[in-house]
Amino acid sequence: MNTLNFQVRSKLPNHGLAILLLLSVSILAVNTNVYAKMPGYFQSKDISGKVTDDKGEGLANVSVSVKGTTRGTVTKPDGSFTINANPGETIVFSMIGYTAHSVTLKNESSLNVLLTAESNSSMGEVVVVGYATQKKVTVSGAVAQIKGSDLQKSPSVNLSNSLAGRLPGVVATNSSGEPGYDGSTIHIRGVNSLGNNDALIVIDGVPARAGGLERLNPADVESMSVLKDASAAIYGARAANGVILITTRHGKSGKPQLSYSFNQGWGQPTIIPKVLNATEYATMANEIEIYKLDPSEWAAASAAFKSTGSYTGPTGATSTAPFQPSDIQKYKDGSDPWGHPNTDWFKATLKPWSPQSRHNLQLSGGSETVKYLASVGYEDQDAYYRNSATGYKQYDFRINLDAKVNKYINASVGVTGRQENRFFPTKSAGSIFRMLMRGYPYKPAYWPNGLPGPDIENGEQPVVITTNQTGYDRDTRYYLQSNGKIEINIPGVEGLKLIGNVALDKYIQQGKTWTTPWYIYSWDYTSYEADGVTPLLVKTQKGPTPQPTLNEYSQDQLNSMLEGILSYDRKFGDHQAIFLAGVTKEKSNNNYFNAFRQYFPSAAIDQLNAGGPVNQQAGGSAWERARLNYFGRVGYNYKEKYIAEFLWRYDGSYNFPPAKRFGFFPGVTAAWRLSQEDFLKDVTFLNDLKLRGSWGKLGNDAVYFLYNLREYDYLSTYVNGDVDSYGNHHDGVGGSSTYGYVINNQVAPTYYENGVPNPNITWEIANNYNVGLDGVLWNNRITFELDYFQNHRSSILWKRNASIPQTAGFTLPAENIGKVANKGWEFKVGYNERFGDVRLNVSVNGGYARNKITYWDEVPGRPDYQKSTGAPIPTDINYPDDMLLYQYDGVFRDQKDVDANTLDYSGVGGAGKLFPGSMKFKDVNGDGKITPDDRVRSKKTNIPTFQGGLNIGVQYKNFDLTILFQNAMGAEIFLQTESGTIGNYLQYTYDHRWTIDNPSSTDPRTVDRNNQYFSNRNTYYMMNTNYVRLKNFEIGYTLPSGIGKKVGINNLRIYANGLNLFTWAKQDIFDPESINSSLQYYPQARVLNTGVTVTF
Amino acid sequence: MIQMKNIIKNIFRITAAGILFTACKKDFLNTLPLDKPPASTVWTDPALTEAFVTDIYNVYHDGILNQESMDCISDNALYNFGRADIMEANISPGATGWVNNTYEWGEMYFRIRATNLALEQLASVTWDPTIAERLKGETYFLRAHCYNQLLRYYGGVPLIKSTYQLASPDFSIARNTYEECVNSIVSDLDSAALLLDGKTLGLGRATKDAAMALKARVLLYAASDLHDIPTASAKSPLIAGYAHPELLGYVSGDRVERWTKARDAAKAVIDLGTYGYKLDLTAPSTKDDAIADYKNVYLSRNGGEKETILAKYYVNASPDDWGSWYPRNNTTNGYHGWTSSEPTQNLVDNYEYMDSTSVGGPKAVKFDWTNAVQAAAPYENRDPRFYASILYDGVPWKPRTTDAAGTDPYGEIQFGTYEVGTAGTASTYFGLDTRNSSIENWNGTRTGYSIRKFTNDDMSLVDMNQRQQVPSIQIRYTEVVFNYIEALLELGDEPTAKEWLNKIRFRAGMPAIDETGPALIAHYQNERNIEMLFEEQRFYDTRRWMIAPQTQGQKVQVMIVTGKLKPGKTVTVYRYSKDNYDYTYKVQNIEAGVENRSWDDKLYFPPIKLDEMNKNNKLVQNPGY
Repeated sequence: MNTLNFQVRSKLPNHGLAILLLLSVSILAVNTNVYAKMPGYFQSKDISGKVTDDKGEGLANVSVSVKGTTRGTVTKPDGSFTINANPGETIVFSMIGYTAHSVTLKNESSLNVLLTAESNSSMGEVVVVGYATQKKVTVSGAVAQIKGSDLQKSPSVNLSNSLAGRLPGVVATNSSGEPGYDGSTIHIRGVNSLGNNDALIVIDGVPARAGGLERLNPADVESMSVLKDASAAIYGARAANGVILITTRHGKSGKPQLSYSFNQGWGQPTIIPKVLNATEYATMANEIEIYKLDPSEWAAASAAFKSTGSYTGPTGATSTAPFQPSDIQKYKDGSDPWGHPNTDWFKATLKPWSPQSRHNLQLSGGSETVKYLASVGYEDQDAYYRNSATGYKQYDFRINLDAKVNKYINASVGVTGRQENRFFPTKSAGSIFRMLMRGYPYKPAYWPNGLPGPDIENGEQPVVITTNQTGYDRDTRYYLQSNGKIEINIPGVEGLKLIGNVALDKYIQQGKTWTTPWYIYSWDYTSYEADGVTPLLVKTQKGPTPQPTLNEYSQDQLNSMLEGILSYDRKFGDHQAIFLAGVTKEKSNNNYFNAFRQYFPSAAIDQLNAGGPVNQQAGGSAWERARLNYFGRVGYNYKEKYIAEFLWRYDGSYNFPPAKRFGFFPGVTAAWRLSQEDFLKDVTFLNDLKLRGSWGKLGNDAVYFLYNLREYDYLSTYVNGDVDSYGNHHDGVGGSSTYGYVINNQVAPTYYENGVPNPNITWEIANNYNVGLDGVLWNNRITFELDYFQNHRSSILWKRNASIPQTAGFTLPAENIGKVANKGWEFKVGYNERFGDVRLNVSVNGGYARNKITYWDEVPGRPDYQKSTGAPIPTDINYPDDMLLYQYDGVFRDQKDVDANTLDYSGVGGAGKLFPGSMKFKDVNGDGKITPDDRVRSKKTNIPTFQGGLNIGVQYKNFDLTILFQNAMGAEIFLQTESGTIGNYLQYTYDHRWTIDNPSSTDPRTVDRNNQYFSNRNTYYMMNTNYVRLKNFEIGYTLPSGIGKKVGINNLRIYANGLNLFTWAKQDIFDPESINSSLQYYPQARVLNTGVTVTF
Repeated sequence: MIQMKNIIKNIFRITAAGILFTACKKDFLNTLPLDKPPASTVWTDPALTEAFVTDIYNVYHDGILNQESMDCISDNALYNFGRADIMEANISPGATGWVNNTYEWGEMYFRIRATNLALEQLASVTWDPTIAERLKGETYFLRAHCYNQLLRYYGGVPLIKSTYQLASPDFSIARNTYEECVNSIVSDLDSAALLLDGKTLGLGRATKDAAMALKARVLLYAASDLHDIPTASAKSPLIAGYAHPELLGYVSGDRVERWTKARDAAKAVIDLGTYGYKLDLTAPSTKDDAIADYKNVYLSRNGGEKETILAKYYVNASPDDWGSWYPRNNTTNGYHGWTSSEPTQNLVDNYEYMDSTSVGGPKAVKFDWTNAVQAAAPYENRDPRFYASILYDGVPWKPRTTDAAGTDPYGEIQFGTYEVGTAGTASTYFGLDTRNSSIENWNGTRTGYSIRKFTNDDMSLVDMNQRQQVPSIQIRYTEVVFNYIEALLELGDEPTAKEWLNKIRFRAGMPAIDETGPALIAHYQNERNIEMLFEEQRFYDTRRWMIAPQTQGQKVQVMIVTGKLKPGKTVTVYRYSKDNYDYTYKVQNIEAGVENRSWDDKLYFPPIKLDEMNKNNKLVQNPGY
């Protein structure tokens, strides 16, 4: 014991190890204890019987135990059991996923018990809340829960993509399908802060674990709970954005179960932007040339371009059509594949379907005293590209062990490991899709002889740069996460427990970017091989440097947590009292470095030692973070009718000055189950009716300003360009990055002020209010949950700069001055029914949240319709004025229309001339001039205000079917592609444009590279992104139990499912979940998947 | 049982101890930023203090090697990617158009704060006083530089010489008068010169000489027409009607005294005897020598470095400075460049023509499109600096990259449209460097020219997409000489002025000037523009001289070159050849849809941003907005 005492005094990681060691020692030492041999003491008789489900089938592995004793068993595969018990004792039947059932014995010698699946009975459900589980009927906060098995219905390899439409109030938006970066952004109850809006994710009791939830193996997830209101207060200074609690699966007592599942899926983009063919592009490119002339010459020039391809104006100036009539003819008829191809770049670069697969092996089982679950998973996901260099692979395992060491001690240990391999070409998906969007249809992707054609710019040729011809970019992440728990029931005090938790998480990331030159083939359209017929192709080396370069980086992080909890939970007659108090210490250390070399003599050696000695570069940085928290819960209920709970946390965060480090975060939740009152007793269809209310004060210590985490802003520090982890030099003033200055032909170091400190910086405060009503009607046929909430966030970091002139020379530090109010409601209505062999359950849910800034630093002197105060948090907080839009007012149809104009457009910026086909803007302030003052602030951002889902589940005999329709509304995005001489146009733009022959008064004329005044943000370019989509669809067939058993198979299910199968949206130009204005991004995925699960 | 109880007891004890231990350890939360030194460390460490002062030099950014040359907002050049807002006078406080970060209001005041902070801290440091003095001197220089950048762009600005604090009660401040700003800048430069005298300074740092040279620039501007309100008012009704002329210039005082100060300041630099490259010739250089010497100056090599009084340098290991990408940013699309800052035909016409037919030997005359000989071969017999500065149709340039080498195996600039095939049945071929090129046509030139000046002319450097290490010159000796000449002319000392002007011309291979009076002044102005092309002079000079309504009021003129096969000729791969082709050179105005230049007097002083006006109610806006 001396050793242990000694270790306790040493540093935290050792501290944690000590407890781990202790856990294992305890398990070993106490295992042979007498208490384990209790059965046999009593005079008793054998009771036997059968447990069935509501379909009448025997249920295997149901735990059968005698209350208050350690006697227990599990049911056999046919549901039968035998147990030793006395009259007067209570037998409890329980199994995860089913409502527990208990029978107090009289004199029966056999028992037949029916267990109802929890999904069919919300009454018995258990909900995971902060540091505890609660019966659903007694939950008094706004908590949404989903089972892991539901999450498995989605074939996405990223767990965050399985949430949309399933949990009311959880807004999940997927903005990219790129393997490795295809996660959804999750907002609980929308957006509440100008800073960080990420929910706290707690996995198996450990907050903010590296890697988060995205890459968890869905087969390992037991349940996911979302704390939306004051019920999160127990997580204090990190709970303001809500808390997501994930519980992983543990073994159940019973014979070992081995299950294997295999999924094979195929992905493709939901929508590929439609762009122009060569003929259409040539037509628009010629228009660009015409519109440079005086409008009076347009008609003549247009006619001349179509007939001769050249136009000479009255002053003698000549214009030549970039595409001659003969060119256009050849694009049309395809007679000249070498010189006049017609390329579909997306088709040339993307394959129709990209495979993805997932294997999973899980072994679980155990006895009453020891339970185990071990699982191993493997995932492989390919990208859309042909010969793709992009992909994602994952290897993971998890072991969860639980031991009932003796009457007093329960212990569990969980270990999980995961390796994530992300690999890419050296060009980002952004540049690849930029080139696909820009790709000229009149240039070849491949020459007719199969060699790749010329680049679009800087060597970027999509069919080449999507492969590993450019080298590779690998990002490998390793996670090893462990947690241990020991729970001691204090002898002599019923209901009192002491719990110790410890977690040690290691995270290592290694990156390696090996950039090699690549080759493309160009033809000058004039030179031929010696035969005089075959075009002479020139092989050209491309790439940022003529020789390979290598950049490697590595970061290494250790998070540790140590926690002690004292918990008391006891019933005194009709009164139940709950008390819990705990303390947590968390620490995190991170270290980063990188090394770069170039001038590699050969592309054959991709190791740093082979690089040339000139211009080697290295960098590094480090941080440490610590938190110390005290928390607790006091609960009381009377007959489960009046329920009240008080939650608190006293949080200390490293991020703030000593005097401001600790804060108290209380929460109160209360519920009244009206259905338990006598006056409602007679309402027979009413099974349960509960009114809930809550208030909580929560915090957010991850204080962000302009998307950057602000740490140590209470200190006056200086930085050089190398270590500015904000990536935002000089705080946006001037806006240039500096990394030194050349003195005496060497780079001299430079340091500059890292802003002015704010000695009073502290966390954000959320005051969240919630009222709710839950009901269960007609014996579970109908269930509903309704919530209304108001979140008032204050102390948000914001700068008073908008009112401080630039002459001050500094930007003020961010101060806790911002305020945001967010209001909304949620609902979920479920319907369960059984029609003979058909079971149907349908549920509809939805959540609406609308935020507005109630205080921040508004630029003075703005008219009301431009004020951002009172408007929603802008789409991009860096550019709040991007929300200011000119009001599109049609288009000048012809010169007559232009001549009739009386408004002065000279203040609009850009080229202010008015031509036919130019847009009209509304003179909002009526001063006769179109100026920036005529912009009006949009009330819509790119985040939907409403997201909902319709879940339909049908079971018929051995067939099952689940369907999820999901919808989102209330968002819009700005759409403006890089089009013109620089790149291709959208088909939409072609189809909707003003032309000389077909003048429009609604759509503008062809614009080159957004060079017109009406390319300024205006309402014409804002796209509504409301949609409904068939998010998930799954159909399965389970082999009748008799057939499989003959060959040792307990259960065999085959299924097919899909993700994002159909979409109905306001527009079909791009995926409605997109947030990319220029469509230069890797589109969202549609996945078709087939799978099989076998259980032995 | 006893064993069990002991274990439970011990576990309980350890956990309790753990909780207690956790709670007691107060410094557990005292983590520190591991990679950012606090203020106390920086100002007690001379090396870190120096690093702070060095960072202020980044105020130069890329200077004259910016992708968009400041000459693009003058008659000299056109920005390929659009600058119609400024050039069509469509700017306002709400939409100021492009304002480069080398003189932008917010950026300058950010740097000014850094200088004020350094001066406050340096006043009380206890370490090596020699280093402290030098750093102070550099800082005074940098503050003067920042204020002068503001002054010459916006007019008088608020003079701030201490650091605002978080708790400062009032951030509003009025503009100081033009005269107060000049005096403050000159005073800072005098302090810098005093402190830097005799100090050893690394190449790239401001020296005493730099302070003196900058002072000469400031005083020359102060003496100019635009900043003498009686003169400016006479030329511009807008300025005459402005209620706060003291913000724009001197409302009273003696102009001769100002010109004298300007002359003396410039002369003091000349008298140092340290600078100047080949400014001692007594007769014009040969054309080849003149071209080589002009390149030596702008590439800072082979002795041309002696022209440089202050420059920002680039080395291969230096950060990814934009200015080192000058070739990629400015070379033609046919070399995979962007042709960003394009010389105009208006500029090209300003290069003098060497008329060899004149009596008494070759004579430099203004180029004349109505002269048939000159119009037929406009790129022959021009000022040698034309060949060193401008890329024009047919000029030999670097070898093409492999993808273009087949089309143009000879490495010659192709800005025209030519016939290929056999005369009579020929087809049209668009030059590689045009907007109809087969290579990156969207980056093609609109004017028919691109800039050659400042691009490393090493002909073996095939790939223009590589960085170069040509310094960005901030103060050049020849500018000081021009400043001296201009002051002399204004003070009436034409002989001395001409003597110095001819030194510059001789180096450039140009004959002596023999004019007097207004013709001499006009010739001086052209000479200054040609020599200092793309060195951020033209924007200010045309305004100081108040000739901008004429120069910037012109439409941009562009060059259309066409090559028609001579009868009987057959050409398969195009190459510039007077034997095979008849070339026509046509000058026309640029399409009005691209840039339709017009002048408005409000462009003399650009607007202060609307946001800044709103935040500081003591500010007075410039005239015309």
